[in-house]
Amino acid sequence: MTNRKSENMQANGKSERFIVPIGPQHPALKEPEHFRFTVEGEIVTNAYVRLGYAHRGIEKATEQRNWVQTNYLLERICGICSHIHSTAYCLGVEKLAGVQVPPRALAIRTLVAELERIHSHMLWLGVAAHEAGFDTLFMYSWRDRETVMDILEQLTGNRVNYSANLLGGVKYDIDQEIADSILEGIDFLEERTRHYLEIVTTDALFLQRTRGVGVMTKTQAEVMRAVGPTARASGVTRDIRVEAPYAAYPQFPARITLATNGDVEARFVVRIEELFESHRLIREILANLPESDLRARFPRRIKPGETIIRVEAPRGELFYFIKSNGSDKPERVKVRTPTICNMSSVVKLAVGHQLADIPLILAGIDPCFSCNDRGVIITRRQNKPDLWTWEQLRQYGIGYYDGNNK
Amino acid sequence: MEIINNLIALLFFPAGLFLLVLGLAYEWVDRKLIAQFQNRIGPRWFQPLADTVKLLAKEEVVPEGVNVALFKGLPVVALAGGLTAALYVPMAGLPSTYSFQGDLIVTLYLLSLLTLCMGLAGSNTMDRFSLIGATRTLTQLFSYEAPFMLALLGPAMAARSWQISEITAYTDGRWLILTQPLGFIVALIGLMGKLELPPFDAPEAETEIVAGAMTEYSGKGLVLFHLGKSAEMVIGLTLIAAFYLGGVANPLYFILKTLALLFIIAGLQSLLARLRIDQTVGLWWRYGVLLVLVQWLILIVGQRIIL
Amino acid sequence: MDMDTIFQTAQLLVEDMAEKIEKPDPDRMDVYMKNPQDLVSAAAGLRVKRLGYLAAITGLDPGVDMDVLEVLYHFCTASVTITLRFQLPKKSPSIPSLCEIIPGAEPFERELSEMFGIKVIGLPNPEHLYLPDDWIEGDYPLRKDFNRGTISV
Repeated sequence: MTNRKSENMQANGKSERFIVPIGPQHPALKEPEHFRFTVEGEIVTNAYVRLGYAHRGIEKATEQRNWVQTNYLLERICGICSHIHSTAYCLGVEKLAGVQVPPRALAIRTLVAELERIHSHMLWLGVAAHEAGFDTLFMYSWRDRETVMDILEQLTGNRVNYSANLLGGVKYDIDQEIADSILEGIDFLEERTRHYLEIVTTDALFLQRTRGVGVMTKTQAEVMRAVGPTARASGVTRDIRVEAPYAAYPQFPARITLATNGDVEARFVVRIEELFESHRLIREILANLPESDLRARFPRRIKPGETIIRVEAPRGELFYFIKSNGSDKPERVKVRTPTICNMSSVVKLAVGHQLADIPLILAGIDPCFSCNDRGVIITRRQNKPDLWTWEQLRQYGIGYYDGNNK
Repeated sequence: MEIINNLIALLFFPAGLFLLVLGLAYEWVDRKLIAQFQNRIGPRWFQPLADTVKLLAKEEVVPEGVNVALFKGLPVVALAGGLTAALYVPMAGLPSTYSFQGDLIVTLYLLSLLTLCMGLAGSNTMDRFSLIGATRTLTQLFSYEAPFMLALLGPAMAARSWQISEITAYTDGRWLILTQPLGFIVALIGLMGKLELPPFDAPEAETEIVAGAMTEYSGKGLVLFHLGKSAEMVIGLTLIAAFYLGGVANPLYFILKTLALLFIIAGLQSLLARLRIDQTVGLWWRYGVLLVLVQWLILIVGQRIIL
Repeated sequence: MDMDTIFQTAQLLVEDMAEKIEKPDPDRMDVYMKNPQDLVSAAAGLRVKRLGYLAAITGLDPGVDMDVLEVLYHFCTASVTITLRFQLPKKSPSIPSLCEIIPGAEPFERELSEMFGIKVIGLPNPEHLYLPDDWIEGDYPLRKDFNRGTISV
């Protein structure tokens, strides 16, 4: 303890500061990430973030995999918005290869993406409520979220990584039975969502924690390059589904959801109202599902070229840059996830707030650290072997604790 | 003979074993009720006991840089405070074991001992979360303590005595909740603040400061604090039931009335979101104290008119 | 603002600094810049004319046998993407920082510098963002010559 303390202090140069470390392991964070908040009493005066705890080297790993394998690898960037990553990749590679994807496949992709948005936003609602110490809302929203998880499982056989996308199409079709159960589930969810909207806008005690907290003005949101619901809660009209429609959004246009207050309450309201928009889109897609094949033929090698594809993930704009060199492997896949854009806003917004508001502000952007941290390699530290056997790892653990107990 | 009686009173009933078992049982009821309100199944009946046994069997890690005697002694003092308080309270419908003029004040201070010990325990360690937790614990203590105490003094004024046994004799059959509703509300909410239950759980808000003052505690120390808290919950519920709900003259009334109070507390816990510490302080000093003072005013004026 | 106006305005803005301008897709414009020192003025120009926000910075290593690195600055607005492309010598690549005018560029630039070894001049906090603090100096994971210890699949 003493060691760690002095180390932190040195990093900041001034020893009289009181720094609260949050993470890499902390109950407020569902994924490992490290924040340091300098506090005076309860007020935060400085914030610092260190990323990289969930780095798996995915961008580099794509260079060693062929086009098809990369699809499955990229789907595993994130556990929550897995489908949207694979959608972005597929759309990009299809554009590079000049393959025309059948309309039904595009519609099903969009449908799964909207179902995923529902599941992601409801998950967020629960987590954010938990951060505010409102566990009842957490439990209820997660119970209802099971509905959409069940729909996704019925549709694709999986609850998290649906692997619905193939290069050139989709794997699963929607028949009448599935369509009926989706509609039934959506009806139930819509009613519940209305209830949640009422709670987050009327519960006096909860509003004390969200209204006027973490306010980001429209200008700030633009300067800090916020994206997704975080930006829309500040009144920035930025939604890729509307600005640059992709997949089946040209046929099924989405409407933008905006709020102007820019506080945590507005972020709740924007996300919940987006749920209604998703419900509407799902109904519309199911009612007008085009008839066609599910898959187009796809070449093994792709002609050289570069492409940029932007899609709206549940957390905001997802940016892919894909470069092909004519072989069966991608030359470079660059992924820019929404959380990294919103992260700098957290650090700036935290200053001046109470420590108790930090979890809510942090949760307000719906951070997804695994998305954030896709980049790099297996750990290769100085003078240490690349791979450890189980026995070596055990010995290291024993040695570490022995050293610390002296 | 007296020594044996005293020993029984201290070790088995009303303090000691009886209170601990009752505390664990009430903790389970509380957890189960909240789980049900939140649409969960909740723990099985022996879960609090199992937690206790498990923690007792675990290693107690003493962090570097603490005063070891304080670190180990504080949990014992905290539990002892809670258990001692039980001696002056009519537990399980039976008259209190010991009684003297002014024991109400002593009991209330014995109950605060637990919070003070937690504050000290938190500031004893060098952990940041503990320090912030301790600050918040003590801040909260100074906010709810006055209204809570004033609320419990309302019945004492009505009974014109500061002796718990005399007050309970006066309240037996008299439902003071009807004449002093404001006092009852403040007392009940005050008890929630005392037990650091939501929405007053800022001192141990896990999403901010892990476990607050308790962060560095493990094993025996942790379990003693937990037991102390459960004991305090039983005593607090008993006091409020005895003062405001027509007395706890027999075991059946005792169980029914305290459980009814626990039901309300559990409902409030699951209904409300956590308050920030500044909001907690504001709530108590702005509304809590005001409500109690209004209650006192009514009480005093009422007594003047009647007499 | 429609797509053509955006492209025209952007073209006027960067024409002097550009070696060539390409339009690989209807909604994309690639500007091959002559000099890395022009980055800040070009980005500032794009911002002033409201031609997009910095969506991402991509680093490219064209190959082990090439002695250049490429850096791509993607500016997006509505459906349009304007990309400023810079070629930097692999021996001592350096580029000015955008943090002065676009504070949100910091994480991108830190990633760029640790993954490609491109020195970003004027970066307020040049520490590692993703890589461990004790990562080997001069070892840049996203360069093509970095593939030791990887497992083939």
